[in-house]
Amino acid sequence: MYGRRASQLLKEIDSSEAGQLASFNSDVFDQVIRECNEHNSQFQSLIRKMVEQNLDIETTRNEDHYGAAIHHLSLLRNKRCLMAYMYNRAEVIQSFRWKVGPVLPHDIQEKLHFSEKEYFKNHSAAIKSYISEMDIDLTVDMVPPKDPYIQVRVLEDIGEVSLGDHSVSLTKNSLHFLRRTDAEQFVSQGLMEEFLE
Amino acid sequence: MSSWDDDETAASAAEAATTDVELLKRAWRNEKAAPEVLRFDSPLVSRVREQIQLLEETLNDFADSGVDDLVVSLYQMDLDRTLFLLRSYLRLRLQKIEKYTMHISRSDDLLSRLSPQERRFAKSCAEIMEKHLEQSVLSKLPYGYDSVTRQSLSSTEDDMVPEPQLDTFVFCKTKSDVGAFQLDDIGEEVVDLVADDLYVLRYKSIKGLVEGGRIDLI
Repeated sequence: MYGRRASQLLKEIDSSEAGQLASFNSDVFDQVIRECNEHNSQFQSLIRKMVEQNLDIETTRNEDHYGAAIHHLSLLRNKRCLMAYMYNRAEVIQSFRWKVGPVLPHDIQEKLHFSEKEYFKNHSAAIKSYISEMDIDLTVDMVPPKDPYIQVRVLEDIGEVSLGDHSVSLTKNSLHFLRRTDAEQFVSQGLMEEFLE
Repeated sequence: MSSWDDDETAASAAEAATTDVELLKRAWRNEKAAPEVLRFDSPLVSRVREQIQLLEETLNDFADSGVDDLVVSLYQMDLDRTLFLLRSYLRLRLQKIEKYTMHISRSDDLLSRLSPQERRFAKSCAEIMEKHLEQSVLSKLPYGYDSVTRQSLSSTEDDMVPEPQLDTFVFCKTKSDVGAFQLDDIGEEVVDLVADDLYVLRYKSIKGLVEGGRIDLI
């Protein structure tokens, strides 16, 4: 049945949780591309057959016309599914830049197609250049602030870090009372956590 | 926020900040609720950034002159909240641009709503997305089916560009009397919009009122 493999790709997108990516399904993807090229060659040969019979392609309505129409429409359906697959994955990749940062952890990178990795890099660069043009960091302050300072517990050894006008030694399991904006970058990377009594 | 002030010198700066911060809050709320990107309020954003800088300098002075910790943390809180509003406002817009990059790049009207930096960002976004789609899908498809915006050569218009849903329902509140207002083109639904009332309407119908500042989204 035409279009079944392509809908498999879409089902994959549908069944994954919001904001999560499954591994790029290159098997099914390549199969759909092959189907498209098959449809195209069938389409071309049917049109050629009609031309050889001296029939007007625009107006003739015989079985070859309908066969060609089915191939054309199936190709379009496959194209729409492929584009939707890539586009939806690209949207999730965009969200990674905001949630995770400019560098993706290894387990996410494994799931990406080569072109997606490039897309992420270029997209990150575009965001970075906007941020530096505006001179305001948009990747911090993701939730509305409740306190200007929060207590944090350091999860991993970070070492000496200079925050504002003084430097702090961030050793594992140490507690600090830091400015929220300073701590946020470490919390989002998982190196610190908020200490709630 | 400025009701905590008893310092005269900072009071006037803080008062001006309240008005602009209120404006920023309103712009932020509208941007959050609207399905499409709204007009960039460039003068407001520059004023807010100046005031943020002023607040930061005031805080530095406080730190040097040993002002009471409570007052310092209140000013700090004010600063943080304003900064959050500004960042979130810019972020919301960027994320809308990301989502509808091809649609925005095709429309002069939408492009004119962006700041110059956002326009550059929108252009790169569209290029990057196009390159990605071409590289991964379109280059492998047969000739005639390889356009990003059209399904095939037989499509009469750009039919593959995602667009925001302009007729989603939004909560809104009127600021002044608008009177009888026509909700759609046919003239079938007419609603009487009274000042300070809450309504749930389709965004498309009240788009003009939002742009004119006569109605706020919540």
